[in-house]
Amino acid sequence: MKILLAFVFLLPALGNAQDTHDHHSHEGHLHEQMVDGEKLEVDVERFDKFVEGLKDKQIAVVSVKGMVCDFCAQGIEKTFKKDKTVAKIDVDLNKGKVFIAYQMNTKIDFEKIKKMIVSNGQNATKLQVLKL
Amino acid sequence: MAFSGNMYNSLYYHFSPTYRYSVGIESVEDKFFNQQYSYFRFTYLLNRRNTENSQGNLYFQSGLSSDGLDGHFYGLHGDWETRRWFIGFNYRDVKNSLKNYTDQFLQVGVAPYLGAYGDFHTWIMIKTKKNTLLGDWSTFPVLKFFKGNFLIEFGYNDQTEWDALVMYRF
Repeated sequence: MKILLAFVFLLPALGNAQDTHDHHSHEGHLHEQMVDGEKLEVDVERFDKFVEGLKDKQIAVVSVKGMVCDFCAQGIEKTFKKDKTVAKIDVDLNKGKVFIAYQMNTKIDFEKIKKMIVSNGQNATKLQVLKL
Repeated sequence: MAFSGNMYNSLYYHFSPTYRYSVGIESVEDKFFNQQYSYFRFTYLLNRRNTENSQGNLYFQSGLSSDGLDGHFYGLHGDWETRRWFIGFNYRDVKNSLKNYTDQFLQVGVAPYLGAYGDFHTWIMIKTKKNTLLGDWSTFPVLKFFKGNFLIEFGYNDQTEWDALVMYRF
């Protein structure tokens, strides 16, 4: 029991260690762009890492309700990876967003995205699209 | 999914054709009655409530024993969680060829830090459980960890000893 308690007290420190990212300036980065008059509400580090190296792509930033754990995120990731028009996907659990990179010539269909999210048990509520 | 507790050990394999329901087989080593059998299980999501920061679920669960119609269970399982908080319960009404009983638990937890997708996640929880074959409630601390497809949860109480769950998602 003592070992369990000691372990519990050490956990927050372990968590903080995971939160340590390479902090850098985000000036001029894509996440600062306005999309349809609104700023992107994303985890900046995660989003910047996602778009790193991507060219001539459209990025769909989808707001999702009910996405609270890794298992939900994994299901969504698996679903979109089956779609051949998707070049890359990632999930931002902190802000409840899904990032999907499509080829520039793909027509992004929010109704299709909603259906794919619902098939996993969550609800997509908003779509913002950025072009790289 | 593998579970080990004071009443039984079990190994459960299930498949979810949609998020609404799952079917599976649970192989059980019943410690109390000193029996071995399997359950053919069916679980159905009765209700799910998604919000921006939370998800709540209510499931109907059932199982039919390989020993025949005399052995079966049905019940409810519910949970509500945010990225920080968790509360869940489970209630089973079990018909056994030797004696009927109910099995239930309530579990609350907090995540001491919020990991991003793919990180190592931790939950500190309290679980309280009761089986009518034994009578009293047993309350104990539980730790839950998961990363990727792998989850492990364990707790300990002086009377009911270890309660452990290991889950792998394919």
